[in-house]
Amino acid sequence: MSASSAARPSSAAPASAARLGVDPHRDLSDYDPEADLMVLNMGPQHPSTHGVFRLKLHLDGETIVRAVPYVGYLHRGVEKLLEELTFVQATPIVDKNDYVSPMTNEQAINMAFEALLGIEVPRRARYMRTLFAEMQRIASHLLWLSTFGIDMGGALGGGTTLFMHCFREREWILDLFELVTGARFHYNTHTIGGNRHDIPAGWAKQVHTTLDLIASRIDEYLELSTTNSIFVARTRGVGILPKELALELGITGPILRASGVDHDLRRDAPFHAYDEIEVKVQTEPDGDCLSRALVRVREMKESIRLSKLLVDGIPEGPICGARPIKNPTQFKAKEGQAYVALETPRGELGTYVIGGGKNKAASPYRLKIRPPSLHALSALPYLLPGHSISDTVVILGSLDPIMGEADR
Amino acid sequence: MPTPEEFRALLEDDFGVSEWSEKQPPLIEAVDHHRLAEVLKERGYTLYVFVVASHRPGVEGAEDALTAAGYIELATGLRSPTENSQLAIWRVRVGLDEQLATLVDLFAGADWQEREQFDLVGVRFAGHPDPRRLMLPEDWEGHPLRRDYAINTPHPPWR
Repeated sequence: MSASSAARPSSAAPASAARLGVDPHRDLSDYDPEADLMVLNMGPQHPSTHGVFRLKLHLDGETIVRAVPYVGYLHRGVEKLLEELTFVQATPIVDKNDYVSPMTNEQAINMAFEALLGIEVPRRARYMRTLFAEMQRIASHLLWLSTFGIDMGGALGGGTTLFMHCFREREWILDLFELVTGARFHYNTHTIGGNRHDIPAGWAKQVHTTLDLIASRIDEYLELSTTNSIFVARTRGVGILPKELALELGITGPILRASGVDHDLRRDAPFHAYDEIEVKVQTEPDGDCLSRALVRVREMKESIRLSKLLVDGIPEGPICGARPIKNPTQFKAKEGQAYVALETPRGELGTYVIGGGKNKAASPYRLKIRPPSLHALSALPYLLPGHSISDTVVILGSLDPIMGEADR
Repeated sequence: MPTPEEFRALLEDDFGVSEWSEKQPPLIEAVDHHRLAEVLKERGYTLYVFVVASHRPGVEGAEDALTAAGYIELATGLRSPTENSQLAIWRVRVGLDEQLATLVDLFAGADWQEREQFDLVGVRFAGHPDPRRLMLPEDWEGHPLRRDYAINTPHPPWR
């Protein structure tokens, strides 16, 4: 196995190309010489790549014949760093992975540590975590909708109209989080065994007021997108991801549900308070960009309903089940392995943790974060061929990738 | 619909697994890695979830040849997209100079995931169609998640 791109044996490629319809490693040397193929680099610095991401496009005129994505520009070595830090020091680091939904990142890593260490979370903290995750989903999908509006350009009232509106509503949710944790972002509020900050008095009423306001706006946005003929023309039938391919690629979350797979970890493998409430899973059969947009907008409405149920149902009691942290090496795991997955706004965020690391077993021996965004990006070589450059921007936007999470 | 009991019976009957533990996924022979993935895919585990490799350095004076020389332990996870969302995880151990059969011909998502584990941990996959690094630059030396790679190792200038 050499590190150069020149060595490309074609042993496995033809079989999977026959099965999946598109060969991501297509050899273009026998392509029609009259076509005069052109190579276009999108990124690493490009406003529509949602971060630092490079896409090498082989073009026949305006049509893409092969797309090669390059990731890793934001690789910070988080997994290596977490091997040096202790379990309790990990939370603020993973905040920065998926910087659009830090709450679910914190929750994921602490759930993995709790599974490895065998620590129970009290019921109040489980409700609070679930509530924060649902509110974070609304904020994350709002940010996606706003940037998707920019990707669509002039289709939605000059592009920045939807952007400004969605950012305003997202800010209201961040204000609510600020009242609990003191931080607008990068909360550091989850800890092993529960939460650090309790809900302040009168907070539940503010949540209801804000969510009611956002709910009325989301109906407007749904109308704005589904009845806007330019929006529909640019998204319907564009970037169709078949069900079988989505499963094989490990794609989860709204993208998988938009391809017609009725699968959601909140309902199918319930964690925290999800076993006490019923989640209505949103699906669409077509798998195109319009389906992905519709699923996300409907998920926002569902999250508003769930958040209201959860904020009313928070039980009384302690918010942390473990002893107060007095020193960073308090929790130790000499051996054992655990994989814990939860449904974030982007799909299945998994954490695989192996015990018995440094600092006298107070650090993980190996920790792997399974980012849903990386799996979503790996679909691009299959989705892009046959489309034009302008569709590339829409397809990439519909996958909702966060490069901080994909590259780690 | 796949069940945990079915998974356990499959591993005990066909793959010679006898030890079960709450905190350790079942360990199978490296030669059976691809066959198990194929059987599980047929039985409904169609969602590719993850692959994680971890480096175990050699232990001097160990009786087992693999432990003495050092090895890479690889855990793979597949999920069934059904009502119970059943997750199947298994482990294999490969020597530092050995190669493991790739799963790209079964799961297209294994392409990038195996490239990442090759990049960071240095495990090699036989038959991989595109064996390049994924995260780090192509001229990077070494594999950062190995135990003998110090966290303060100098890196080439950023480009």
